[in-house]
Amino acid sequence: MNFKSQRVAYPYFVVALLLFALQLVMGLYLAFNYFYTVPQAVVDVFPFSTARAMHTNLLVLWLLLGFMGATYYAIPEETQSELAWPKVAWAQLVLLTGTGVAALVGFLFGWTQGRPLLEIPTTLDVLVVVGALMFLANVGVTILRARRFTATQGTLLAGLVFLAVMYLFGMPFYENLAIDWYYWWWVIHLWVEGAWELVTAALMAFMMIQLTGVDRKIVEKWLYVELGLFLFTGLAGTGHHYYWIAAPRYWLWVGGAFSALEPLPIAFMLIDTWRSMKDSKRPQPRLTWVYVIGMAVLHFVGAGLFGFAHTLPQINYYTHGSQVTVSHGHLAFFGAYALLNLSFFYFAIPRLKGFADGRYDERGGHWGFWLTSSAVVGMSLAMAVAGVLQTYLERVQGQPYIVAQSPMRFWMLIVFLHGLLVLAGALLIIKHLLTLRPAPARSGA
Amino acid sequence: MSERAAKLIFWVGTLSSLALFLGLTWDTHRSFAALTHADKLDANVVAGKHVFENHNCNDCHTILGFGGYYAPDLTRAYKRLGEDAVRLRLASPEKAFASSYRKMPQQHLTPVEIDRLVDFLRWVGGIDNHDWPPQDSDTRWKASTRRLVGGAAMSPGAALVSQEACLACHALGNAGEHRGPRLEYVATRRDADWIARYLADPQALTPGSTMPKFDHLSEGQRQAIAEFVASLAEGRTP
Ligand code: HEC
Ligand code: HEC
Ligand code: HEM
Ligand code: HEM
Ligand SMILES: [Fe+2]
Repeated sequence: MNFKSQRVAYPYFVVALLLFALQLVMGLYLAFNYFYTVPQAVVDVFPFSTARAMHTNLLVLWLLLGFMGATYYAIPEETQSELAWPKVAWAQLVLLTGTGVAALVGFLFGWTQGRPLLEIPTTLDVLVVVGALMFLANVGVTILRARRFTATQGTLLAGLVFLAVMYLFGMPFYENLAIDWYYWWWVIHLWVEGAWELVTAALMAFMMIQLTGVDRKIVEKWLYVELGLFLFTGLAGTGHHYYWIAAPRYWLWVGGAFSALEPLPIAFMLIDTWRSMKDSKRPQPRLTWVYVIGMAVLHFVGAGLFGFAHTLPQINYYTHGSQVTVSHGHLAFFGAYALLNLSFFYFAIPRLKGFADGRYDERGGHWGFWLTSSAVVGMSLAMAVAGVLQTYLERVQGQPYIVAQSPMRFWMLIVFLHGLLVLAGALLIIKHLLTLRPAPARSGA
Repeated sequence: MSERAAKLIFWVGTLSSLALFLGLTWDTHRSFAALTHADKLDANVVAGKHVFENHNCNDCHTILGFGGYYAPDLTRAYKRLGEDAVRLRLASPEKAFASSYRKMPQQHLTPVEIDRLVDFLRWVGGIDNHDWPPQDSDTRWKASTRRLVGGAAMSPGAALVSQEACLACHALGNAGEHRGPRLEYVATRRDADWIARYLADPQALTPGSTMPKFDHLSEGQRQAIAEFVASLAEGRTP
């Protein structure tokens, strides 16, 4: 850490980690509802729908707070200057966390906009927008004042502005359900397969430059290619969500063709990261690379492979809106964005705490990574089995929904059991990160 | 690769995809009116969408395949179940799903809210979305019924179904109404014995059912109807 104002990143990371734990508890309740018959009296008070709104909103909130903290860490390094307004960054954290808590409590009392993943009521949306504006202004003014522009921070800022603008499309009430979903995907798809990929590419480039000492020019040249591929495939690729919403038939072609190419930039990122590690001129703690490579691999498997598996319309006709979707959603979100955040936390926290060369005591941290990651993979595979069953029984054979769900319940129990391991692993990670110690003095040598 | 080439890839890739996407967005907007039958999208349907959102139905049920996967997709619920059956499930889910392993909450919907939800689901059921979902596909229902009705036209059950005017309330193939469930759909989850008992006294098996009793028919006639209905299920031997 070279700038005092970078320190504001730390409380963002702490809040993000705590929300992550709460998200997992809600996930367990959801899976429980699938294999166990929750009595009517409980369903009337705390239904699946409420818990699902909490699970997914907590996810989005902690990932975004993590991105914001990471940005507040990276921007001073990139601009070689202090943040414009560190106090505003604090106020923004309080505002956004407060809004998040208000939304969660509101859900419990049925205060909701009622659209999946975008349940936050419009009143609170306005506060989110205020928080986002505070954030973008703070970052923008810092860059403008420093008058030092890099491709990495340009990408980061572009990704964040893109992200904020897309949020606006999720706020209005749409009278026509088809048009509603058309723009719903401008938020969700253009986030995870657009804006967030830009943020990821920028934060990865930033970490690679710092971790490996590889020439910035080379990293940033490949960054352009990567971004070009992401946006070329991802923008028109939105069409893979327009197959069955009462939109014209050409989306089957456009969505299928462009989204089938979406795994390419993700594969590119994996290869690029691998090469940077091999070319690295600086030794780093092993765990740092475990996270960075783990992220690149599971990003590719969860988003690239699992995404490709159901993106062609001929397949999507049968798998659309089934547990197959859930399986992909979990592995992709975890592999790409949960691990990106955790990688960044492992990169930034030792530096924020002023440990020499960013080195830290890795003991305990490896367990957390392997336990959580393998449990999420196992959980996604169990969801995939449930999804294939559903696809066959309900969609191909034509069994009624509730009949086809019956044999799936066993696999949702397996999901739940893996979920317990995910929670255990995540608690290890959170404890390790929040009590990080400097590396023990090297014995012998 | 030079930095110039890298930047070129970025700009060409991004702008070409963006132009295509925005162009198609514009064209799609011109098509929505016809594909979603926007002329039928009146104030009641819009009010129904509000009720649907206020009660967060979409975080348990998918609609158009989006949302929570915990409960049946609602895109074609109106056509699959029929109006009266939808009403019963909205008004008293605790009774309708009393014996099911998965529950729907009692949300104390007012009669007006139920009316609007029915309007909303009726409108959604009619949109033209390339015949998704497959399990409710109209083409599939029609094909399987054509086959069966063709073969069974002379069966006593088929004759009784027509004589007793079941299609005044139930859909079958191309014909019928949507007050009760589509008969092919009934066949996918009920066997002949159950149906025969139901015809004698619907209330006994589904409290609140608005279907009339067919106790004026003989047991044998009810069994014949039941066997015909059960035989409508695809892949099940009559
Ligand atoms: C807590 C989750 C939950 C919520 C919230 C919920 N439902 Fe349900 N609903 C269910 C379940 C589970 C079933 C299926 C039960 C069964 O078939 O055994 C169901 C069944 C139905 C059915 C019958 C579908 C069929 O094909 O059999 C309709 C219609 C329906 N719900 C409409 C609604 C509407 C409208 C709302 C909002 C006002 C709503 N539901 C809210 C869980 C929920
Ligand atoms: C006045 C309208 C009406 C008529 C006429 C009618 N039904 Fe029904 N039927 C319904 C309604 C409404 C339901 C749905 C009840 C509920 O909410 O579950 C139903 C339900 C059923 C069910 C049970 C579906 C299930 O899975 O729960 C069967 C079987 C059935 N009808 C068969 C018949 C047959 C066969 C005839 C002709 C002999 C017939 N019905 C005539 C209105 C009617
Ligand atoms: C990191 C990137 C990604 C994340 C986080 C992600 C996440 C998700 C989530 C959460 C959903 C479900 C949304 C919902 O309906 O509620 C979804 C759907 C989908 N994703 Fe992804 N995804 C990513 C990348 C990809 C890629 C690269 C592809 C294609 C190659 C893809 C293909 C799909 C398809 C086809 C669906 C629709 C499934 C359906 O029809 O139900 N995704 N994704
Ligand atoms: C304890 C571990 C977890 C369990 C048991 C769990 C379980 C579930 C369940 C049962 C659902 C509901 C699916 C449905 O509607 O039917 C769900 C939704 C979701 N969860 Fe999790 N989850 C867990 C952890 C996670 C993690 C770590 C992430 C992301 C990093 C995540 C992201 C999501 C997303 C994006 C959805 C919405 C999916 C969609 O719309 O397709 N969950 N989860
Ligand atoms: Fe997508």
